[in-house]
Amino acid sequence: MERQATPASPVTSGGLPLDGVRIVDFTVVWAGPFASQILAEWGAEVIRVESTKYFQPSTRGTMAHPPKALIDSGALRGYPDKEPGDRPWNRWAGFSVHSRNKLSMTVDLNTEDGQEALERLIRTSDGLIENNAVASMDRVGVTWERLSKINPELVMVRMPAFGLTGPYRNYRTFGNHMEALVGHYSLFGYAGASPADSGLNIMADPAGGAAGAMAFMAGMLQRRRTGKGVQIEVATADGFANYLGDYVLDYGMNGRLHEYRGNRDSVFAPQGVYPCVGDDRWVSITIGSTDQWKALCGAMNRADLAGDARYQEADGRRRFHDELDAEISAWTSGVDATEVMNSLQGLGVPAGVVMNEADAYGDPHLNARGYWEELEHPEAGTHRYPGVVWKAEETPNRLRRAAPRLGEDNEYVYRDLLRYTDDEYRRLEGLGHIGMDYDPSIP
Amino acid sequence: MVNRSVAVDLPLQGMRVIDLTWYTSGPFCTRVLADYGADVIKIERVGVGDPARSMPPFQDDEPGLERSGLFMFLNTNKRSVTLNLKDMEGRDILLDLIRGADALVENFSPRILPGLDMDYQSLKAINPRLVVTSISNFGRNGPYRDWNGSDLVLYGMGGPMLNTGSPEREPLKTAGHTPSFQVGAMAATATAIALWGSGANGRGEHVDVSYLETFMGLVDRRTTNLVNYEYAGDISTRPPLANSSGTGIWPTKDGGYFYTTVVAARWAAMARMIGQDGLANDPEWNDPVWRSAPDRIDEFGALVISWMIERTKTEIRAAVEEARVYGAPINTIADVLRDEHLLERRFFQELNHPTTGPLTFPGYNFRITTTIDGEAALPPRLRAPLLGEHTDEILHDDLGLTTDNIEALRVKGVV
Repeated sequence: MERQATPASPVTSGGLPLDGVRIVDFTVVWAGPFASQILAEWGAEVIRVESTKYFQPSTRGTMAHPPKALIDSGALRGYPDKEPGDRPWNRWAGFSVHSRNKLSMTVDLNTEDGQEALERLIRTSDGLIENNAVASMDRVGVTWERLSKINPELVMVRMPAFGLTGPYRNYRTFGNHMEALVGHYSLFGYAGASPADSGLNIMADPAGGAAGAMAFMAGMLQRRRTGKGVQIEVATADGFANYLGDYVLDYGMNGRLHEYRGNRDSVFAPQGVYPCVGDDRWVSITIGSTDQWKALCGAMNRADLAGDARYQEADGRRRFHDELDAEISAWTSGVDATEVMNSLQGLGVPAGVVMNEADAYGDPHLNARGYWEELEHPEAGTHRYPGVVWKAEETPNRLRRAAPRLGEDNEYVYRDLLRYTDDEYRRLEGLGHIGMDYDPSIP
Repeated sequence: MVNRSVAVDLPLQGMRVIDLTWYTSGPFCTRVLADYGADVIKIERVGVGDPARSMPPFQDDEPGLERSGLFMFLNTNKRSVTLNLKDMEGRDILLDLIRGADALVENFSPRILPGLDMDYQSLKAINPRLVVTSISNFGRNGPYRDWNGSDLVLYGMGGPMLNTGSPEREPLKTAGHTPSFQVGAMAATATAIALWGSGANGRGEHVDVSYLETFMGLVDRRTTNLVNYEYAGDISTRPPLANSSGTGIWPTKDGGYFYTTVVAARWAAMARMIGQDGLANDPEWNDPVWRSAPDRIDEFGALVISWMIERTKTEIRAAVEEARVYGAPINTIADVLRDEHLLERRFFQELNHPTTGPLTFPGYNFRITTTIDGEAALPPRLRAPLLGEHTDEILHDDLGLTTDNIEALRVKGVV
């Protein structure tokens, strides 16, 4: 691989395990960006490859130029002080959280100049990560056949929803649809209700993100041993089927298709989410043992329930779950959610506030752990963000830079990394490859 | 005897992981590491093993240590050794195994390992390059460190549960053990990154993965809603699913449901897909503000339903792919097991087990498809170990104990 003296990156990562690992990032929406968020968090130099001529919905916002009316009505959210600003794509909450620590370059891959820039970038990088429809990547020449010839040490992670092969290879969905297709929506819901009442759930995206980052590390570890690049396919939908493994086994073992059971558990009883004082305030409680049941009865000041022979074992508590839910709700309805949590946890009973955003930012435990971190962004201002996902005792880690503005690192990438001359840089700027604004025609 | 040194080139081949995990999150983590080639040695309690062995589903609904589908799913590709860690000899055997290991994964509550004199600093003293991954409810410090948790309690605190379910009802948890499995997946990724670091500099690491912070960092709405609150002060809710024209879960001809989500750029395509070219070309309907009024949502929804109800889930899936509208059928597990795409990709794997006979298992999270030398073969999967199945093999082959030594330990209840 062609390696020259490394120019200083705009996002420094000295001391982190992935320091010195450069990743070309074509990820969009959630699953892919979450994978590269994790890799950037632990020191990789992640360069987002974007275009001023195409706006991928749900990545830097729903729309490039959102009408103020949609923001005022609450239909579009995520802008500081509900103001889209001159460049809304640099101010959107979704992007600013998963793209912290990353770099952004712009290029139009539908031209020869763009393809030349891509080749230079691949030559100087360790890996590539993307989560687009297979046909979209084929169209812009992002294929293993081509890129592995340019850089035989490339670790290439492909994350199309349904994989690189098979009938659904070009089928586009979001995480909630992947979950529907692999069975999740048939398994979570209110007892007796329609799946529509289950509302939105998009866990396939974080699942895909964790798998994508793991896949990249697997590729790197393989390359360390063999010296050779590798292509890894993370079919996000297939991967989520693993999260339903025990249901697949139950079907095979007992022919059982589960019915909705709300928040109840197959082992612990009672278990549920109970209303507390205030609007949309809830506490979750799980009773995992008879001792915990007695402790709950004590907190409720209900010696009669504690002594009731029917409720001594989980089986009995499950049989009378509706009655117990009514008793617990009657108690929690008059108490503050945080007070329920603190008093039950003090007695060893698993209980937790169903936290909203204010609870989370104010939570004493998260604050004591230093979870929230402040970042300054030139267009979005200074704000506190969710912190590094896990901690490492030997390697203290903090967020290093706010999410990049569109094209923010063009100078570094084109001039320092890819060795474009001033003349070439200005020419590419003139052609619209290099820029910091979307084409005004994009809605 | 299961031979682990198969000639399949896997990324973590040659790495040994001592697995002190139980229940669900930790075993999911080591399952991922084992799937990609690590030699995972699962340490289990003598006689009872991992509590997941006693958790449903069971073969024929009959409990038994070798009958749990949950355990069988979580522990494929691993080896099992039984050890009594409260016994000095048992503890010494574990320390001997740790000396030769690359990583140790545990999900005990944070007080347990220090209580066994096996805190990270002690382990580091005997193996300076060891990666220790600790999974816990709330992390290794802070005021909630010793609090109890469950999937429901922790997902409700950390995750987007407040945003899941009906606006008319209580918040709703995702299915089964899915929250724990996400924590396990994240812990596997964390372990791999730490292994990369220790391989480069020879220094070990102690990784602290918590349920609470894993869920708080979920890209599924949670982080966006948190930052939106920080940006604009909004507390999020459970929005109705049908919050824009064309988004909803609709009944189909074959008695199932189909889920569509319409982004602004694909609304006209959806109108054309359901035969409403007039609406697709209507300037008023093309205004996303105009069509997001509740009456318009209902009006368009009625048109979607009348189109859906005349078609099967399979027909609708093909139509949404053609129109590039986002959507998918609500499938049951039975539907998933016969899905043409997953079958063609040979996603599911059949494994034989002495208790159950052959059973179908979900396949790999991700696949190494191509190396510079050509196509890579899918690795086979080995069934979950019986309790203590590999005790003799590992104590003999790795620690040099004789059959007599091992028998003596067994009589004393150490193994």
